[in-house]
Amino acid sequence: MPAQLQHEWDLYHATWFTLMGIGGGVFLVARLLRIERGLGVWLGLPVVDLVSFVAIGIGGLVLVWSLGRPLRMLRAVLKPGTSWISRGAIADFIFLVTGGLLILPSLELAGVKPFAALPWDAWASTGAGKAIEVVGLLASAIVIVYAGLVLADKAAITFWRSWLIPAQFVLSSLTMSIATVMVMATLNGTPVGLLECLLLGKVSLLLLLAIAWHLATERAKPGKAESLARLSTRYRWLYFGGVVGAGTLLPALLGFIAAAAPSERAALGIAALPLTVAGGFFLRLVTLRVGYFPPVSGMLRLRKR
Amino acid sequence: MRWGMVVDMRKCVGCQTCTVACHEENALPPNVFWRHVVDVEVGEYPDVRRTFMPMGCQHCAEPPCVPVCPTGASQQRKDGIVFVQYDMCIGCGYCAIACPYRARHMVQDHTWYFGEATPSEKQAREPERHGVMTKCTFCKHRVDKAPAGATPGVDPEYTPVCVSSCIANAMHFGDLDDPNSNVSKLRQEHEPGVLLEELGLKPSLFYITE
Repeated sequence: MPAQLQHEWDLYHATWFTLMGIGGGVFLVARLLRIERGLGVWLGLPVVDLVSFVAIGIGGLVLVWSLGRPLRMLRAVLKPGTSWISRGAIADFIFLVTGGLLILPSLELAGVKPFAALPWDAWASTGAGKAIEVVGLLASAIVIVYAGLVLADKAAITFWRSWLIPAQFVLSSLTMSIATVMVMATLNGTPVGLLECLLLGKVSLLLLLAIAWHLATERAKPGKAESLARLSTRYRWLYFGGVVGAGTLLPALLGFIAAAAPSERAALGIAALPLTVAGGFFLRLVTLRVGYFPPVSGMLRLRKR
Repeated sequence: MRWGMVVDMRKCVGCQTCTVACHEENALPPNVFWRHVVDVEVGEYPDVRRTFMPMGCQHCAEPPCVPVCPTGASQQRKDGIVFVQYDMCIGCGYCAIACPYRARHMVQDHTWYFGEATPSEKQAREPERHGVMTKCTFCKHRVDKAPAGATPGVDPEYTPVCVSSCIANAMHFGDLDDPNSNVSKLRQEHEPGVLLEELGLKPSLFYITE
């Protein structure tokens, strides 16, 4: 049997992976850089956290929609010991619960804060708040890393079985999230910081390196050779022009230019957002679409007649 | 006890009787084949031959499809049979991605060859097998029915239907752990190979090639 393309996972999964990457990433980036206050407040709540919840919520719905039996979705958490889908689903739930709990005391409706009695606030300025925030940060880190591990851990697809796939997905999540944070700062009238610009440039370069490394290694391995051939033919323009060029190299340049030109940071951040998000989505989609099962007849040998 | 099969590719004529028998026995919908026979070209030019290879779930001793399942629906019995507990499966497709033998098939909907189920399809259909992953079960519904004294692999009605229907006696089923079973004797005599041995999955299907 020759190598065969997988058809199980496609558009829904690429969408799910992308939304999880953005959702977990913006929470992680904003909280680690301590810039969530400058990204806007709505109803007393940090807007960046709301964006994170919406992205992860929609991503979760897309995942559920893609299941053959969506109503059984809660069963997905039953095997965290061995399955990365289970671990990811649990991380999603923990993130939504802890993130929601964290911002709950700051919720302000008609001038009233109904949950103000809780001993923390949305900015994690107390010990209890910090503890909840740490759990949320850990969960968000798992949320952005598990999609890649789902592919790299036990899949039979040779092209996916590399630590460089989760590395690419994590780095792509970070570029999308940094660009999102830059645009949110601009919309809120907050100056975009030098650190975000440099991070965008450097993380994009790391992503470029991870992609190049993955493409350059084990090129002749059964299954991967077919994937590389499909990448360089059918998906040549989309992958090398779109994902690598427009979605990774260009945002890296925009990040470094923005670092050097403070007055242009707002415009460059707005330009980087669609590039990184489209690049991240197509990185995931093309990675899925070039997945080949390896050929299955290697053991057959003939004796010389 | 560990159930397994030995396929003698020297005898297989590629008639696809096992494919059809499996399809009928398990009332599979159109385009879903738990057992099928592929045409394979083996050797190197000029010593090249065409041969036939019955394919399906290899019931690996270390099945990659089982640990990835997020619900525990994908299971392995003590006798080695790997199966899907349909009422636990959410249809995520992870097990299909994990199986290098491409032996898992999603049944998206109830469809039948003739619009509605034929009497035999009605008899064998499993309503739970919809929106979930399906695969070869080594006909465990037949194997498990074997009364004391009957031997799956020897008595046709308690043997997987692909084996009992084979017109060329190319497929054999039995207990790999029993040194006196038919499959153990064939293994000792012919030292058959397994597919993708390098993956270390320890399949229970063995192929005699020469």
